[in-house]
Amino acid sequence: MDNIESLLHGFTIAVTLPHIGLMLIGVLLGILVGVLPGLGAPNGVSLLLPLTFGMQPVSAIILLSSMYWGALFGGSVTSILFNIPGEPSSVATTFDGYPMARDGRATTALATAFGSAAFGALVGVVLITFLASWVAQVALAFGPPEYFAVYFLAFASFVGMGGAPPIKTVVSLAAGFAIAAIGIDTVSGSVRLTMGIDELVKGVSFVVAVMGLFGIGELLLAVEEEFHAKAVSSKIEWREVFRTLVGLPRYGWALLRSAAIGCWMGITPGGPTAASFMSYGIAKRFSARKASFGRGEAEGIIAPETADHAAGTSALLPMLSLGIPGSATAAVMMGGLMIWGLNPGPMLFIEQKDFVWGLIASMYVGNIVAVVLVLLTVPIFAALMRIPFFITAPLIFIICTVGAYAVSNSYLDVLLMLGFGIVGYLFKKLSYPLAPLVLAIVIGDKAEDAFRQAMLMSKGSLAIFFSNALVATLVVAGIALLLLPLVLQVMHVRTIKPVLD
Amino acid sequence: MISRRALEFVTAALTGTFGAAVIVSSIDNGIGWSTAGVDAGTFPFLTGVIILIGSLWNLARGWPQSRDVVVSPSDLRRLTALFVPAVVFVAAIPLIGVYLASGCYMLGTLVLLHRFSLPRSLLIAAATPLALYLVFERMFQVSLPHGALGDVIGF
Repeated sequence: MDNIESLLHGFTIAVTLPHIGLMLIGVLLGILVGVLPGLGAPNGVSLLLPLTFGMQPVSAIILLSSMYWGALFGGSVTSILFNIPGEPSSVATTFDGYPMARDGRATTALATAFGSAAFGALVGVVLITFLASWVAQVALAFGPPEYFAVYFLAFASFVGMGGAPPIKTVVSLAAGFAIAAIGIDTVSGSVRLTMGIDELVKGVSFVVAVMGLFGIGELLLAVEEEFHAKAVSSKIEWREVFRTLVGLPRYGWALLRSAAIGCWMGITPGGPTAASFMSYGIAKRFSARKASFGRGEAEGIIAPETADHAAGTSALLPMLSLGIPGSATAAVMMGGLMIWGLNPGPMLFIEQKDFVWGLIASMYVGNIVAVVLVLLTVPIFAALMRIPFFITAPLIFIICTVGAYAVSNSYLDVLLMLGFGIVGYLFKKLSYPLAPLVLAIVIGDKAEDAFRQAMLMSKGSLAIFFSNALVATLVVAGIALLLLPLVLQVMHVRTIKPVLD
Repeated sequence: MISRRALEFVTAALTGTFGAAVIVSSIDNGIGWSTAGVDAGTFPFLTGVIILIGSLWNLARGWPQSRDVVVSPSDLRRLTALFVPAVVFVAAIPLIGVYLASGCYMLGTLVLLHRFSLPRSLLIAAATPLALYLVFERMFQVSLPHGALGDVIGF
């Protein structure tokens, strides 16, 4: 019951006029970056980050997280109305959302998407409310070996369940760790991996990496695909919205299943994108109306949207209670936490009660604000999409450049961003996952510290990672996840071979 | 025209080179175990090894892949039309500053590349640096680079 009390206290922090104002601004900016291709939640939040340094941490996190919710909703709008996913995680929404809208049921499609998205987010927040402080309490007993094991498990789950080619995921992760190591080593004080460039002593900021990987990379992809925004009518009929929302409980089972998939993928960092695809795939496989999937089936919108938002929300659970972000955007926010002087992880629940519960309470309110705002502003943002891309593309480029520069007033960062942009384009094109790269940049130092401290405790013996039941279980689970793709491949070959013979 | 094979090759070569550089650089920092604990270079060294091995694997896997064209000539043209002016814009920043560079960049792409109407292009090209100035320099007190030209004219 402590949780309920803390939550109520959180509401007194979150529901104040300035904070509601920040939510409105955050959600609107979020929808904007969600709608614009080339700008997404991770780099949107990074852009806003330098502007929050003067704020109270709780106000700053409310602004940033509201932007995240807005971006998640905004991505769905363009998926449904234009068949252009504004966010990678809303790709699966185009499969049935756009066909339904094209058939003249745009309002139904949007309302279905927003309704199930809100449900998914709600399940995620409820989960955080009741589970986060408990997880944090368990984590208080963690020592360096346990921490390293949890990091290991998190990274292994990317390889095992992220859906991208496993070795490409491994390369992406390891590159992130190497980038995190650039600069001064906090333990020994020696300078590492600067390759002769003195300015790199300060390290590579994750904001610069995100701006390049997601911003420039996505921009290059969008230009290459050269889409033409052919919108269906974006007029909202409020009666239809109401009727759709009232009818949603009919899909109760699909909603619950998708929310469960989303929460699972959000907490074990698989991320919203993988969650939405997985949920769509499962919904299609088990649906009685399998044939109508891809032609505007409501369940085909409910499944990815619920999972997307459930994953996006619950990605904050491991960030708050363990210091391990569950998605790229959560990683950026965690970077923010560290810049504001907070230490993400279990101590947050003891030392920064107001911050944690203010944030959790704001998630309830922020999502309601987001649903209302996105419904009200659909026509405006749809009109924005009609601006030719050759105008918005250079503008987005300028914004990313200035954003990268503003991190530490460094021209080198701008050049790095360009480099990351090319890498981002190549990686996306060849399905190397980007989220593990960003995650590794943000928490690479912490993972390394945990490893080195554990090694100090054991005087250099790896046996410490099997020294008690908890740490051994975590490590074994991690290894199992790493081997999962291999096992699946062997099984796949076995089942295919007899057919070929 | 770029085939999937070529792109896989370039990317794996890129990550592999990075991995090799990380390995070489971290050996300088010392790898292994000393009295102070794990040496500074150990962890980066391991990541470098993983990157290198993974890149070799990706290279081997990427090579036999189809020679499908993944970037067609028209794709490539659009890519360069965005990327080359963008690089010129970035290169111009230290000389003429962000404000002038962004204005010229907008004007150049709109008028020269896309034959957008001149008055509207001028409007957008003027509004862009103005918005940057108001948001960054005025609202959030973040000073953007004024360039060598800015030093000369005292801005």
